[in-house]
Amino acid sequence: MTTKVGIPRALLYYYYYPMWKDFFQTLGCEVVVSDKTNKSILSDGSKNCVDEACLPVKLAFGHVINLANKNVDYIFIPRLVSMAKQEYICPKFLGFPDMVKHNVENLPEIIDTTINMRLKTSEISNAYKQVGRKFTGNRFKIWQAYRKGQKSVQRLNELLLSGYMPEEAFAVMYGKEKDKLSSGGDINIAIICHPYIIHDSYISMNLIGRLEKMGANVVTADNLPEELVRQQATKLPKRLFWTLGQRMVGAGYTFVNDNNVDGVINLAAFACGPDSMTSELIDRTTKKTRKAPLLNLTLDEHTGEAGIVTRLEAFIDMVRWKKSKQLPGVALVN
Amino acid sequence: MTGYLGIDVGSVSTNIVFMNEEEQVLESLYLRTQGQPIKTLQKGLKTLVRSLPVSTVIKGVGTTGSARHLSAVMVGADVVKNEITAHAVAATQQVPGVQTVLEIGGQDSKIIILRDGVVSDFAMNTVCAAGTGSFLDQQASRLGITIEEFGPQSLKTKTPVRIAGRCAVFAESDMIHKQQMGFELPDILAGLCEALVRNYLNNVGKGKEILGPAVFQGGVAANIGMRKAFEKELGLEVNIPEHYNVMGALGSALLAKEAVTKGNKTLFKGFSVAEMDFNSGSFECSGCPNLCEVIEISEEGTIIARWGDRCGKWSNALASEQVQIS
Repeated sequence: MTTKVGIPRALLYYYYYPMWKDFFQTLGCEVVVSDKTNKSILSDGSKNCVDEACLPVKLAFGHVINLANKNVDYIFIPRLVSMAKQEYICPKFLGFPDMVKHNVENLPEIIDTTINMRLKTSEISNAYKQVGRKFTGNRFKIWQAYRKGQKSVQRLNELLLSGYMPEEAFAVMYGKEKDKLSSGGDINIAIICHPYIIHDSYISMNLIGRLEKMGANVVTADNLPEELVRQQATKLPKRLFWTLGQRMVGAGYTFVNDNNVDGVINLAAFACGPDSMTSELIDRTTKKTRKAPLLNLTLDEHTGEAGIVTRLEAFIDMVRWKKSKQLPGVALVN
Repeated sequence: MTGYLGIDVGSVSTNIVFMNEEEQVLESLYLRTQGQPIKTLQKGLKTLVRSLPVSTVIKGVGTTGSARHLSAVMVGADVVKNEITAHAVAATQQVPGVQTVLEIGGQDSKIIILRDGVVSDFAMNTVCAAGTGSFLDQQASRLGITIEEFGPQSLKTKTPVRIAGRCAVFAESDMIHKQQMGFELPDILAGLCEALVRNYLNNVGKGKEILGPAVFQGGVAANIGMRKAFEKELGLEVNIPEHYNVMGALGSALLAKEAVTKGNKTLFKGFSVAEMDFNSGSFECSGCPNLCEVIEISEEGTIIARWGDRCGKWSNALASEQVQIS
């Protein structure tokens, strides 16, 4: 029987899924992804998680529990300390494997290899070698698997740059061919948000889908090239050492200065420390440049849909009103 | 006579406006919703139809407020709009050139910033309803005065007391404390108004550029004490439009007029909806682990609308049934 490796559909899944999937498959494992977020995943997550954690971490807990119920042999939760030189990932990510091990009972074995690229970016291949040794003694095979995974991540990044959202890109990469989304909307809305919030349609209340239904073309921070985001983030007087926070600020600066963007939505997760600061930084810059209007939204597990929908509708009205100088009366009749 | 209806069903009040072709408000109603949006709206429509000439033709209907979808399916609305747009539209019509709209309603408060007649920024209260109408209502009854006396009483103050306004619960305990210490009622009332205005500006109005002309609307604008507190804090003259308490409804009437200008025939079902039997019910869908609570609205026993399902299974099923029928 093949070994089953579970990957929670949360946190870094949206950045690295193809890497992990192809790595484990090349090593002869079966990869199992947790179900899409639903009510029970969220409530399992918030019940079992430490109460100070942020929404994304609570959600990730739910996904780990979901995997445990699928009888997988391993759950892969790498302890990602740093993704880039002289930078860190949010400490809640580092602590995540330990929080899971100490709070959830009856878990399969957790693979929590440390990936730390703070000092040397080559550390990443060592980490994968370590993981690979669990499954095979064949070093060449591990190297092959790692190379394959890296290529998949490159392919993912290409797809993201051409406008696909992560889950759509995964679908394109793994067979279920999907046409490029139409760009027939009359306004362009940019969303600044962590991929593990915005692309989880349950927790984000299908924000992207709602915007598209209202006739907007949507881009997110994930569709921007890494170099551009980093370069924009250097406008700050001091470099942010949280990689993901830097992405948010860099994306924010890019979007508010982009003349093709008609409106920017900053979606923060409740109890996310870096978000509380990056939101403020983005807010201040927008006020100075005054190009595209900005809407700040915060989500938590208790957020009612009505409040979000009202603000979203009003924001889209405002963007259209501003753009056409005409009352937005007729366009949104239900 | 022809005209347009604007309906705003909110948490605390249900407002209906009848506007003629010249965009003048001929009739307006302000009713307490009391947790019964369907009944209250029907009652309002009954009252309204009595005061209108028999020959009146309704050319368009707009709905807004937190029950905008519910009221839209009941009456057959031509436009369904969020409260922010509706309030902004009404404010620009009532006070041309307005740059700031301060709105405090029953359970929400918002600020709308307009520049050159276009909304450029807005905000709504987030998780806290401190300082909205419901809280003032509650405090007035605790102090044994009617909400109508609240404003005039507060104007008698000489030195307003400083009250902690960050949170409704703390504001109440702080007021009790000030009473026990022996401060006079007008000073406490004025202090409360100032605290709520401070809270509003720090919370809802955070970082917004507030310029005149400023308009104060929503039910709480009836409270002269709140107006004075705003003027003192902002150093601006704050206008209260004539129809301050039905601005949302007026906005939706204006939007309804806009919606039917292109020759669209109104979807209004007629005032007979006031006599019809509407029911709402809900059930939990067990199709997937999301367990959505689906709401069903029925008219005379026929289901006319469903919502609340995340996947659209129930709402879409109904839409396709309706297509088949017609």
